Amino acid sequence: MVIGLNHYLILAALLFTIGVVGVLTRRNVLIIMMSVELMLNSANLTLIAFSHYLLNAVGQVFVFFSMTVAAAEVGIGLAIIVTIFRNTESLDIAKLNLLKN
Amino acid sequence: MQTIIFALLALVSLFSAIMVVTRKNPVFSILYLVLTFFCFAGFYVMLGATFLAAIQILVYAGAIMVLFLFVVMMLNLREPEELEGKNTLWQTMGAVVAIGFGLLVLAFLGRSPGAGVPNFQPGEEAYVMGGAKALGKLLFTEFVFPFEIAGVLLLAAVIGAVALAKRKRV
Amino acid sequence: MMPQDFVPVLLTFAVVGGFAGIALVATHFLGPKAYSPIKQDTYECGVDYIGDSRSRFSVKFYLVAVLFVMFDLEVVFMYPWAVNFRTLGTFGLATMGIFLVILTVGLLYEWKKGALEWD
Repeated sequence: MVIGLNHYLILAALLFTIGVVGVLTRRNVLIIMMSVELMLNSANLTLIAFSHYLLNAVGQVFVFFSMTVAAAEVGIGLAIIVTIFRNTESLDIAKLNLLKN
Repeated sequence: MQTIIFALLALVSLFSAIMVVTRKNPVFSILYLVLTFFCFAGFYVMLGATFLAAIQILVYAGAIMVLFLFVVMMLNLREPEELEGKNTLWQTMGAVVAIGFGLLVLAFLGRSPGAGVPNFQPGEEAYVMGGAKALGKLLFTEFVFPFEIAGVLLLAAVIGAVALAKRKRV
Repeated sequence: MMPQDFVPVLLTFAVVGGFAGIALVATHFLGPKAYSPIKQDTYECGVDYIGDSRSRFSVKFYLVAVLFVMFDLEVVFMYPWAVNFRTLGTFGLATMGIFLVILTVGLLYEWKKGALEWD
C-alpha cells in the first residue's frame, strides 16, 4: 500500500478531532491551550500534505508563517494565563465568569 | 518501508494526542505533546518538508513546550486533581459534537478511497522544494511583505508579553 | 533531501531509545538493592532538604523564556535567508535589515521597561 494524500488527511482529521475534544471537555486552561496547539499542528499537517502531493511549495511557506503566529499566540496566551492566575489563584476556566451577570 | 514508518508514526501520534487531552497532571500532557510534535516532524520529513521538520523540533518541541513547562512550574498547583470537578452538561455535549464532527470528516474522506482527493505520487522534485534553499527563495521573493509583517507580529508579541508579565515597579 | 536520507536519524532515535530502555531495565535487574530511610533520602550524602520542590517560580523566568522564544523565531527566519544570501543580493539584505530594525524596536522597548534586569 502506498501512502497517499488520503491517509494524511484522515490522520490530520483524527488529530484535529482529538484537539477539539480536548478544548471542549477539559477545564484546565493550560491543557486547553495544548489542545489548541494540537489542532494548529494538524492543520499544518494538511497544508504540508497538500503542498507535497500538489507540488506547490506555497503551502510550506504558509506553515512557516503559521508557526510564527503560533509562537506569538502561545507567548501572549500564557502571559494572559499567568495574569489570570495572579487574580484568581486557579487555572479552572469555570471560575472565569466575571462577565456572566 | 515508507508505509510501515507512516503507520508507526500515526499510531504513536494518535496515542500521545489522546494522552495529551486525558492526563490530569499538565506536566504529563506537555511531555506527551512533545512526543506528538516529534511525530509531526517525522511526517514532515516523509512529505519532503525537511526544513519545516527542523523548525518543528526547534520551535514547537523545543521553545514553545519549554514555555508551557515554565508556566506549569511557575503556577505549580499542589493538587492537580482538585481542579477537575464534575463534567457539566455542556462539556459532555461538546465532546459528542466534536466526535460527531470527526466521524463526519472521516465519512466524507472514506466514502470511497480517494474520492475527490487527487491520487498521485509526486516525483523527486517534491523532495527538493521543502529544503531551506528552495523555501527561502520563495519566502524572500514572493512573500517578502508577509515576512515583514511577521516581524511586526513578533514585535507585538514581545511588547505584549513584557506588558502583561512584568510586575510594576514598587 | 529524500526521506531515505533520514534513516541515520531514525537509527539514532532507535539507539537512544533502546539504550535508555535497556539501561532502565538492566539496572532494575542487575543492581544490588538496599532500602533504608537514609538510602531513600533525596540527597543521600548531601544536605538535608527544606520543603518540597513544588514551590512557585518567579514570573521573571517566564519573561526570559518568552523573550527567548521570540528572538529564537527571529533567528529561524534568518536561516533560509542566509542559505540564499548570494542569490538575493542587496534586496535580501534590505528586507532582512527592515526585519531586524522592527525587532530591535522590541528589544529597545524591553530594555527601557527594565525587563532585562533581574531585580
